[in-house]
Amino acid sequence: MSLAAEAFVSQIAAVEPWPENATLYQPLKDDQILLSDCASSLAVQTYLRMCGLPVQVACKANAEYMSPSGKVPFVHVGNQVVSELGPIVQFTKAKGHSLSDGLDDVQRAEMKAYMELVHNMLLTAELYVQWCDDSTAAEISRPRYSSPYSWPLNHILAYQKQWDVRRKMKAIGWGGKCLEQVYEDVSQCCQALSQRLGTQPYFFNKHPTELDALVFGHLFTILTTQLTSSELAERIKRCSNLLAFCKHIEHTYFKDKSA
Amino acid sequence: MELRCWGGDWGLPSVHAESLVVLAYCKFSGANVTVSPIDWTWRTLTVTTPELVCGDSTVTEPADILNFLRKQRFNADYELTARQGADTMAYVALVEEKLRPALLHTFWVDAENYANLTRPWFASRSPFPLNFLVPSRHANNALCRILLSKVESPLYSITEVEGKLYSDAKECLNLLSHRLGGDHYFFGNSPSSLDAFVFGFMAPLHKAALPSCPLQSHLRQLANLTGFIDNILAVYFSGSQPGSPVPVQETVDANLQKLTQLVNKESNLIEKMDDNLRSSPQLKPRRPEPKPCLANEGSSTPA
Repeated sequence: MSLAAEAFVSQIAAVEPWPENATLYQPLKDDQILLSDCASSLAVQTYLRMCGLPVQVACKANAEYMSPSGKVPFVHVGNQVVSELGPIVQFTKAKGHSLSDGLDDVQRAEMKAYMELVHNMLLTAELYVQWCDDSTAAEISRPRYSSPYSWPLNHILAYQKQWDVRRKMKAIGWGGKCLEQVYEDVSQCCQALSQRLGTQPYFFNKHPTELDALVFGHLFTILTTQLTSSELAERIKRCSNLLAFCKHIEHTYFKDKSA
Repeated sequence: MELRCWGGDWGLPSVHAESLVVLAYCKFSGANVTVSPIDWTWRTLTVTTPELVCGDSTVTEPADILNFLRKQRFNADYELTARQGADTMAYVALVEEKLRPALLHTFWVDAENYANLTRPWFASRSPFPLNFLVPSRHANNALCRILLSKVESPLYSITEVEGKLYSDAKECLNLLSHRLGGDHYFFGNSPSSLDAFVFGFMAPLHKAALPSCPLQSHLRQLANLTGFIDNILAVYFSGSQPGSPVPVQETVDANLQKLTQLVNKESNLIEKMDDNLRSSPQLKPRRPEPKPCLANEGSSTPA
């Protein structure tokens, strides 16, 4: 969204309170959704639960095309549609709900930096493993991505998406990496997060922030998703405090689901 | 070890951000690296800068080069705690994600800057047929990179994203300024790889004579960041002494060197003025041989 549109949305958002019928849209859960989208969606859901804002989850096959920026998930609140965690955090802040108000400037800088680290490393690694690794792409990603469509559309859309993602990987310099290097990068990222978390329950003091939601969304999804190889999950399991962190958040915010 | 990178100008050892990162890290860690600028050679087309050549192996990309140097025992992060190491990774990701696209846009995509500063500079540093190819190739790469990573839907164009790009970059500069506070370096009293990265990306923005750049004016308002850049330039890049000597003596030596350079420059200027005066139409004497100091200057603009 351009700056002017964003400012406009914030202004409108500030006027009305959070409605009861807010909906979050994501691709079909059992057949279609992929690892990276599932992680982003779970991060947003966790964030909204941490803020105490009710939201219903609706699974639609064309969620990606309905989204204003082309990325899932997106939320439909009142008469506005906002996609991706960053804009959603700003949107809820405009409505008066924020998790990071208690942080000072230096801590806020750290939080933003770590969120970029997760985007840069974990999300990119997920996309790489899904679409640039031939075996995963052929066995999991392409069949799942194109499952709601009939022939020949399913082939066309799947290959188009794969081509898109590979082009993007090449542009940011990940095109030349091999799978082992990607796993190594994920390990380093997890170690950095593990160092930052230490023995605290959340990344910043005793209160969760959007960083906790983002990290939980990605780690939990990687740990609970079946891929052709469980190497990604293994790398995360080497950091025991991250495992404990995931269990704690799942227990605190999702216990009605798991009960 | 040999480092191939673009040459320097505007008071910087190199105008290319990634090359600056590697140069700064070499100074901080005391690595003995011979810098061979690729200006005016065919390497401007063939080589991805920066490139470190050590024996038979070649390494590109700043992050990989820094890792290689660390394995060769040139480690500027030796004294950092594990937590500080994690912070380094996070801040480097922040700079790469938020600041670098805006820098690419400022130097390579913004029409006025590209036409008046970037393209003439790079074209003047490339040999004859390449001066038509090299700048436009870099510009295309920069535009592709921005479009693919920032512009998501095919309906958006670069103009819609520009505003967001610059506001993200300004926010990133503010965050870095908050983190630096009043210190000389980001972690303690000696510089580390994070300082190298931040210096490498911010120094061209600070020093280049860009005709139109709101981001540059924003950076100049953050006094601690500009002080950080100037401090590193003064301590590590001013004199001919390599490595990291005692700062106090270094600044004294640097000041002395600066004064001597100023005096030399002044005397050169006076000679040049003299020469201009003598070769002006009113006086018209014949000067068969060129003066040695003018030949050293290398400038080709006639009086």
